[in-house]
Amino acid sequence: MKNIRTVDQINEKISKGTINVVTAEEMTEIVKSNGIEVAAKDVDIVTTGTFGAMCSSGLFLNFGHADPPIKMDHVNLNGVEAYHGNAAVDVYLGVTKMHPERNFDYGGGHVIEDLVAGKEIELDATAYGTDCYPRKSVKTTFTLQDVNQAILCNPRNAYQRYNAATNGRDDVIYTYMGKLLPNYSNVSYSGAGELNPLTNDPDYETIGVGTRIFLGGGIGYVTGHGTQHDPTNKFGTIMVQGDLKQMDPKFLRGATYTNYGTSLYVGLGIPIPILNEDLAKKTSISDEEIKTNLLDYGIPRRGRPSLKETDYAELKSGKLKLKEREIPAQPLSSLKIAREVASTLKKWIDDGKFLLASPTQRLSVTEVCRPMKITKEAVFVQNIMIPTVTCNIDEDTETVARRIIEKNVNHVVVVDDGGILKGIVTSFDITKAVAKKEEKLSNVVTRQVVTASPEEPIDSCVRKLKKHDISALPVVDSEKKILGIVTSEQISRLLGE
Amino acid sequence: MKARLRFDKEKTSEPIIASVILRTKAPINILRAQVDEGTGEVLIEVPDDKAESTISAFKQMGVDVHVGRFIELLREKCIDCGHCITVCPVDAISAQSDLTVEIDQNKCVDCGACVDACPTRAIKLSE
Ligand code: SF4
Ligand code: SF4
Repeated sequence: MKNIRTVDQINEKISKGTINVVTAEEMTEIVKSNGIEVAAKDVDIVTTGTFGAMCSSGLFLNFGHADPPIKMDHVNLNGVEAYHGNAAVDVYLGVTKMHPERNFDYGGGHVIEDLVAGKEIELDATAYGTDCYPRKSVKTTFTLQDVNQAILCNPRNAYQRYNAATNGRDDVIYTYMGKLLPNYSNVSYSGAGELNPLTNDPDYETIGVGTRIFLGGGIGYVTGHGTQHDPTNKFGTIMVQGDLKQMDPKFLRGATYTNYGTSLYVGLGIPIPILNEDLAKKTSISDEEIKTNLLDYGIPRRGRPSLKETDYAELKSGKLKLKEREIPAQPLSSLKIAREVASTLKKWIDDGKFLLASPTQRLSVTEVCRPMKITKEAVFVQNIMIPTVTCNIDEDTETVARRIIEKNVNHVVVVDDGGILKGIVTSFDITKAVAKKEEKLSNVVTRQVVTASPEEPIDSCVRKLKKHDISALPVVDSEKKILGIVTSEQISRLLGE
Repeated sequence: MKARLRFDKEKTSEPIIASVILRTKAPINILRAQVDEGTGEVLIEVPDDKAESTISAFKQMGVDVHVGRFIELLREKCIDCGHCITVCPVDAISAQSDLTVEIDQNKCVDCGACVDACPTRAIKLSE
């Protein structure tokens, strides 16, 4: 593709104040009405933006030396533990590290938000003391202005696209995709669609090592491709860093996911120079063209099945169609603030305050993201479930009592003629019934049964048993047909407890 | 108008709400009711023109009446993501055309489902 302008020419126009810069949403409209050729001639730069929780984020801090000096060993910032496996007074604060008592309400992400907001932070550090660094503890307060460096570093940012999430279980679940209601009753997703940075330059023609970007309200840089970068599957990521002292609390916000953890919302925007018509075409991408999958987060496995393919136009409409039903869909990231990121970056360029930087190296386009290598395979329900003893709802309690003794079990599953789960009774329920001369099984059966599926990991069963304070889970298929049972005894034996 | 009524155990056996309706002729809509061991708590809705007489009738019966906002969206904390919209059972939360998220106090039934869904803890259930 023949280039029609260079980054140097673009920067010259920025300095002269004659640049034509539009946001990615505006570009989509311009190309729609004027065509690619005209748009490529008219538009010099397209700005993008996203504002989402970026759990990989963290902050490098250097405090300078105390007198006498300390080689810090354990460091807490506002009670949140920072990592200290590097030089004497450098620490790294991860955004997902939680306060030991305040849990989900306060974590590393919130400490960073407080720092950027100019608040005082408590530093509490201890050390074992060395000949050159004799001091054993230090307690002080500091603000962002008091530290030498505060460098925000995000090893995995700006996902090209991300799955949408829903929940097929019959319980509410709390995930990193938010609160998901039972029986596919809401959908949550992430990303700004056509405004997303990498979506507008999917082959990383202009985004590479050294690209200057908007980061948290300040200026940052792309330092390479991010972790889990998966360009062959269009799941690219970038690694970025920036000076926290320039940033703005509006674009960096602590995040709380109930029963999951803490994180940090990061505003990130990338300018894309329209060097050729190809880039004009790519930046004109619309929400309809950005496909993603709706996954069932109720299934606690890596390979969650896709319930349907959707796109950002459907997601942004606020309603998603699933098997004749309309389910409310909303993002967990903020499209409103993503737009502010793109328009702020546009203004910086218009005002001549932000120049583009050509990448010194392209990002990898061939990497693949592999799953974790596991030397000891995890155990799933199907590996340990045992056949279950069943009965029919019309049987009397004495017959069932005899069966419990005969088969030496603690749980009997009530099924209909088709083998569909209808309830469960325990040996305790039956003993009580016999003692009270209650003959009808239907009066003692538990009908609301918590179940497991064959593909479910044992860890997830342990959580269910504990949460509901029960001792067994009947295993059923998607039609509620009984396949077997797992009991807490079995699991305890397996885990050696 | 919405009001939260609190009364202690002795009173819960009396038909408080029924007697107030008889006395004030106000159509009282019960949005939520919970009677625990120690206390009873009921959230009601009455037409604004009957608000005053209803409140004083309850107060005369020894009921603790709380009127005002129950669910609160802290503007400076909210990032307008919209996640809370999907968990509200009565569609009381919506996004405006500029994507600003708002709670409609008249629709809200004070269930609290949105509170722990908010990633910035921007929704408070005020007492
Ligand atoms: S979930 Fe919280 S941050 Fe998001 S729109 Fe609702 S109140 Fe605002
Ligand atoms: S408290 Fe309940 S009804 Fe009110 S806005 Fe929140 S979810 Fe909706």
